[in-house]
Amino acid sequence: MMKIQILGTGCPKCKQLEANARAAVASKGVEADIEKVTDIDQIMEMGVMMTPALVIDGEVRSVGKVLTVDQIAAQLEGAN
Amino acid sequence: MACSCSCCGDTATKLVYACAGAANTGYLADQVARKLNRDGAADMTCLAAVSADLSGFIESAKSADKNVVIDGCPVACGKKIFESKGLPFMHFVTTDFGVEKKKTVITQEVIDRVAGEICKAMNA
Repeated sequence: MMKIQILGTGCPKCKQLEANARAAVASKGVEADIEKVTDIDQIMEMGVMMTPALVIDGEVRSVGKVLTVDQIAAQLEGAN
Repeated sequence: MACSCSCCGDTATKLVYACAGAANTGYLADQVARKLNRDGAADMTCLAAVSADLSGFIESAKSADKNVVIDGCPVACGKKIFESKGLPFMHFVTTDFGVEKKKTVITQEVIDRVAGEICKAMNA
């Protein structure tokens, strides 16, 4: 199962990125575990200096951006 | 750590990286980066992690408004790392600020002066 992490402290952009990720997962019909990471130390250990960030299977795919549903869907294709 | 939300005020993200090397001038590069971080002029992050291709550090560098690389000598390893990854950056070498490798004693006064000059140049 794919693991998707949304990194952010709970701001509106983080919530939008999570919503877009859930929509992208649904549209692609992939099985994915979506986890929110709000702990600032854990976020910085991943080298992420701006939030929100999107991580797929341990690889940081975007930082400081709210990717669209289509953009995340494309990232999911790349991860498969 | 910067949040890109509009609610968090100034959203310009400046990241600073230092090559600490093994000499006094690399020590100065490190101390200047730490001072810029402490003073809130930039967020210090890890040059070695960029070199190691760690995805979070690479994506952060891609998304930053400005990456400031401070090398401690003209061998410019930091510059070469950023060039090899195709990442945008501003470049400074501590020996361009009147300090000599293996000779100049790195005092707080030297750190403050070089940090001030780099801060001014990176915001020009």
